[in-house]
Amino acid sequence: MWVDPVQLAWGAEEEAFRAELVAFLDAEVPEEMKGGRDWIGDESPEIPQWASEFQAKLFDSGWMVPSYPPELGGRNATPLQTLIFMEELASRGVSRSVHFGGYAIVGPSLLEFGNEQQKSMAPSAIRGDTVWCVGMSEPDAGSDLASLQTRAIPDGDSFIVTGQKVWTSYAMVAEKCFCYVRTDTGVAKHKGISVLIIDMDSPGLEVRPLRHLTGAIEFAEVFLNEVVVPKENLVGDLNSGWRITMGSLAHERGALWVESVSSAQRALEGLVEIARRQGLENDGVVRRKLAELYEEVHSLRALGYKGFASFAQGSSAPEHSFMKLATSELRQRLYAFGMELQGPYAAVVDPELVEEGGRWQQSWQISLAATIGGGTSEIQRNVVATRVLGLPRG
Amino acid sequence: MDFTLNEEQVLLRETARAMFGNECPPSLIRDAFYDVTSTGPEDARTFFDRHLRDWAALGDAPVVDLCLFMEEAGRVLAPGPGWVNTSMFLPLLRLIEHPLADQVAAGEMTGTVAVCGSDGYWVLSEDPVRSFVPHAKEVDLVAVLSAQNTVSCVPATELNLQEVATLDRSRPVFQFDVPVGLDTTGVSAEELAAVLNRGTVALAAELIGVGRWLMDATLDYVRERVQFDRPVGSFQGLQWKLVDAALLLERADAAVYFAAMCLDSDAAEQHHAVHVAKAAAGAAARRWARDGLQSLGGIGFTWEHDLHLRLRRAQASEQLLGSASWHHDRLAELIFSTG
Ligand SMILES: Cc1cc2nc3c(=O)[nH]c(=O)nc-3n(C[C@H](O)[C@H](O)[C@H](O)COP(=O)(O)OP(=O)(O)OC[C@H]3O[C@@H](n4cnc5c(N)ncnc54)[C@H](O)[C@@H]3O)c2cc1C
Repeated sequence: MWVDPVQLAWGAEEEAFRAELVAFLDAEVPEEMKGGRDWIGDESPEIPQWASEFQAKLFDSGWMVPSYPPELGGRNATPLQTLIFMEELASRGVSRSVHFGGYAIVGPSLLEFGNEQQKSMAPSAIRGDTVWCVGMSEPDAGSDLASLQTRAIPDGDSFIVTGQKVWTSYAMVAEKCFCYVRTDTGVAKHKGISVLIIDMDSPGLEVRPLRHLTGAIEFAEVFLNEVVVPKENLVGDLNSGWRITMGSLAHERGALWVESVSSAQRALEGLVEIARRQGLENDGVVRRKLAELYEEVHSLRALGYKGFASFAQGSSAPEHSFMKLATSELRQRLYAFGMELQGPYAAVVDPELVEEGGRWQQSWQISLAATIGGGTSEIQRNVVATRVLGLPRG
Repeated sequence: MDFTLNEEQVLLRETARAMFGNECPPSLIRDAFYDVTSTGPEDARTFFDRHLRDWAALGDAPVVDLCLFMEEAGRVLAPGPGWVNTSMFLPLLRLIEHPLADQVAAGEMTGTVAVCGSDGYWVLSEDPVRSFVPHAKEVDLVAVLSAQNTVSCVPATELNLQEVATLDRSRPVFQFDVPVGLDTTGVSAEELAAVLNRGTVALAAELIGVGRWLMDATLDYVRERVQFDRPVGSFQGLQWKLVDAALLLERADAAVYFAAMCLDSDAAEQHHAVHVAKAAAGAAARRWARDGLQSLGGIGFTWEHDLHLRLRRAQASEQLLGSASWHHDRLAELIFSTG
């Protein structure tokens, strides 16, 4: 490291936690994961076996979602321990899973909103034994999710579901879909949405993979044509689906920023090395630009910690509303600068000819998704304006 | 790094905020702005004597505590030499074990610090002139630093002080010829750097306070002001600009306290952190001055509205103890100097 990482001076209990985690990671992180990878579908959309095994091992050792109890892949960790966990993973570029839908969205949502039978599906979702996809977006419902039109019509003990989902990550490998459907067309659009658990092998359900601009196959279109879904697959109350979109992951929210800040920090360190190798070390423009980026990365890291302090004390942390917006845009600029530093080779993708086998070109392309998925930057700005700054709705 | 404030720190901030709220109304600040030096209005001229002498001992306190106070002072633009006296002058006297240090901590004596030569860059100088010396006419003593890492304490009345008029009349700066044959005390470069770091982070905290006032005033205004039958704050073009400015202020705020904690714990990262803090805080204050002014429309461009006092402070303080570009260049040196 070219500057010391923030070494948090926590108590002995925290340090013991860290030591145990470090020992686990040193022994168990698979070679393939060390490059840092949290998506599927470079060459094929399959989930590699090493990734499934690692996720299961994390779960069985209580390191999958540390704040959960052991039966859910955790060890009842405190918020501070969760922060330490995130830091250690992120500083090594290690992801818990190559498909975050199950452990990060579906598992927590089932636990919060599901009935007893549905809650019992959470452990396998978190362990990765059951692969899930999340069906929210539709061709005519993206940022305006509440306008979704996939219809579920009651029919005896079932719903008959017809419609289309799009950009559904992992749909081609998933066993189940956590699917948002319209169950009432006669009320305000937020009030007629429900969530159904749909088996991906149901008759009438068809998946057509879509390629990312990177070439990878990760998301898909999902067509539903009179798919029969048992009524017991309804999650939560009928027409209460909008609440579910707002839930999930609350327990980790205080530390989610760590991963994105750490990867920004790693990118920054990489930029300094490229500048050296490219003989740009004494270029005034490059130096100033790198210093500006350093300022941004490190002040955002401080902002994350500041938000964590309020979070750990049980207050809301408006700081964290800024973090996804800020880090997703910052990372795009970091990777783009890594390309720019390569001069005329900026757009070359032959791994033999460019820095680090094309890492910068690849990371830049992948980073372009981060300002779209999970709420676009524009929507994030609207949300911060109204909820954090208290400005009137447009 | 734990950003949680302890009970005393929360109390300190609340006490300071209440004191400034009660004793430092906008009218006093405006008066101070019109003339802060010798002939200014009584209330402004004596504000420091009446209210800030009691706080001078913060110069001996952890930097985080000092920053909490400076942020409140910046919010109201408290008149007087408090910043330079507490954040740099007192620590300098402690450093050279000056016999008057305790009196300064007790608020009985005051001082300022003379660092840069006539070129105005805040690096230790060989120049026979010292410039940009803040508040020199309001204090008893001036500590003159030199490129040989020496400190000399001179009574302000013995110096031929010439004011350098800047945009910010509420923080007057002076130039003088360094008298020959001063008594000097040698210190180490690291010790001097530590004092300057402290002053830099305290000034950055003050700029955060300036930015907070500007942000609050701007958001209040755009929530209320109606055009085209709706509050102007509901227009997305304004909202997004203010969101980005708010992000800048929030990350600058965090960077300032991060730097303060680094200084308090003598962390390896402290020099990096100080550069980040001042660069970010200066940028945030200037950004809110500019975007705030624009969001207020015509009223923002008037002499009558208090915004311009902060615009001036933000713009002038950017140059004290190094501008953002200056800090970025120093930061680049640190970044490339380590393997
Ligand atoms: C890699 C990736 C994976 C994804 N995975 C999933 C998944 O697993 N499941 C799932 O359901 N979805 C998934 N999505 C979809 C994602 O949630 C949507 O793409 C996103 O919500 C935006 O919707 P949209 O694409 O329809 O764009 P639109 O909503 O049509 O937006 C188009 C443009 O208009 C802007 N815009 C829209 N509304 C406003 C407004 N009010 N103010 C200002 N600007 C506005 C947007 O910011 C954007 O720039 C994924 C997307 C990506 C890129």
